[in-house]
Amino acid sequence: MGPLIPNGVIPAEWDSIIAILIGIAFGFVLEASGFSSSRKLAGQFYGYDFAVLKVFFTAALVSVIGVYYMDYLGYLDVTQLYVHPFYLWGAIIGGIIMGVGFVAAGFCPGTSLCAVAIGKIDAIVYVGGIMVGVFIFSEMYTIFEPIYNGYFYGNVTLEDSLGINPYWFVFIFSIIAIVAFVVADMVRKRVKKVFY
Amino acid sequence: MVKKKIAKVLAFRYTILAVILILLAGGLVLLPKYQKHEGIKPEELLSNTISPERYMTTDRLAHIIINQDPSFILIDVRDEKSFASYTLPNAINIPLKNLFKEENTGYLNQNQYDVVLFSNDHFYADQAWILCNRLGYKNMRVLKGGINEWYATIINPLKPADNMPASDAELYATRKAASMFFGVVYPEQFKVEAPKAVKQAPKKVITVEKKKKAPAEGGC
Amino acid sequence: MTKDKKQKNRHVYWNPYFGGFLLGIIILFTFYMTGRGLGASGAMKSSVVSIVETVAPTHAENNAYYSQFITEDESPMKTWLVFEALGVLIGAFISGGLNGRIGWRVQHSPNITSKRRLIFALGGGVLFGLGAQIARGCTSGAALSGMAVLSTGGFITMFAIFGSAYAFAYFFRKNWI
Repeated sequence: MGPLIPNGVIPAEWDSIIAILIGIAFGFVLEASGFSSSRKLAGQFYGYDFAVLKVFFTAALVSVIGVYYMDYLGYLDVTQLYVHPFYLWGAIIGGIIMGVGFVAAGFCPGTSLCAVAIGKIDAIVYVGGIMVGVFIFSEMYTIFEPIYNGYFYGNVTLEDSLGINPYWFVFIFSIIAIVAFVVADMVRKRVKKVFY
Repeated sequence: MVKKKIAKVLAFRYTILAVILILLAGGLVLLPKYQKHEGIKPEELLSNTISPERYMTTDRLAHIIINQDPSFILIDVRDEKSFASYTLPNAINIPLKNLFKEENTGYLNQNQYDVVLFSNDHFYADQAWILCNRLGYKNMRVLKGGINEWYATIINPLKPADNMPASDAELYATRKAASMFFGVVYPEQFKVEAPKAVKQAPKKVITVEKKKKAPAEGGC
Repeated sequence: MTKDKKQKNRHVYWNPYFGGFLLGIIILFTFYMTGRGLGASGAMKSSVVSIVETVAPTHAENNAYYSQFITEDESPMKTWLVFEALGVLIGAFISGGLNGRIGWRVQHSPNITSKRRLIFALGGGVLFGLGAQIARGCTSGAALSGMAVLSTGGFITMFAIFGSAYAFAYFFRKNWI
């Protein structure tokens, strides 16, 4: 019955080793899918490359369907999984700031690490920028604290906050994703190709 | 020829993948739902059952009551009539038939207090204990021997004969002192005023939301 | 890399659906093993905390934010996410090495200078670092892992990131197209 480490099936000492192994797989897949290229990442915002959208939605769908099937078959307990806490305004404001940063720099932290590994200097500068951003946040923590800690709704899932059946949601979500893939391909055909 | 056929199929590869995805997602919706097995596993229940922690002796309970240990709740699982005629100090009455009523789960399903169940002997209390354990309630105990044992050991302790070991005499002294606390008057001490009635209103239990199992920490 | 005159993208990457499928399996495996999702910005936060703690220990202890991550006996670097980030570096290096993509360079559109690219990378990084702290997670930690367990916060963060990126894309178009 998973998750394995919190339930003591695998001793906690393995945590770090598994972390590195998972990280290697994560980095390999991100790099091989082209996420180390900022121009490819930025492509989705200008319609010349939708790899991010495709990878992102496919990954989310595969994992969410897998999680629910494993829960159904009794291998994994969904209620024991870590659910990202929901701070309403923190998520919105933080997300908006991250969006600006994303389109300005063409990286997000995970992909920038991949780009650092293959020697992109802009990615190294970007990681430095993130550290500066964290530093600014920590130094001005008192200003940000009301948003950071306020409007807390608990570690809720969509099931809790919208009251919808998760299975139906996954089904609708996968249809939306397929429609998005088709639309993305149509858009890409119309937009002037950019070579990078 | 074969290559052409493969190429024909491959032209539809994304459609096929999309169909597979929709089928998988639709499968989640269509799969027959079953009631998830609630509560703890049989093996865990067994290990709780054979654990010596399960029972509490009357001497220990007397000690707890006299010291007014706030971390214990006494629950009387007999019916209301027996509860009204005699019970232990500060006990709360939850008859066995009402065990799963909504208003009672606050006393049983919590992490703050140790719960001691008792009945006339420990038969009904044991049943309640098993039911609660099966649901995963924590910190449940049963008073060994129930009220009968309580009466035989604490309220009316047997005076040890002279040829019995000293430990028995000590035990008797403790029990006698305890019984005096609970209002029994001994002839050699009749000057001592019987302590005031110890039966007080059952203490309020603040129900806390059960903590989720140690959640893994933040993602990013 | 823009000197490619054949008008063909030089880097051949995996099919995005294949990459997405594998990524989904990795997320699923991570949840199965550890009960939590992936993350990336947490490692950078830990680095900042440990740098500040080494340079100015008293300041770090007095700051309400750093002090949450400082414990007596363990370095803030000894967390799951830091190990995972190390793994990401290794994994990306292996993949880049296998496909011959390793080398020092600044990647930018032919229409801008590398200096401009670096300035925007720095600015974007600062914003992303700030935003990731406010939202408690970045695209991998909050959005991707959050979506895998249908977390409301994860979905809101995801919509906010991509919504605002699309909204502001117009202002940065010179950098990319």
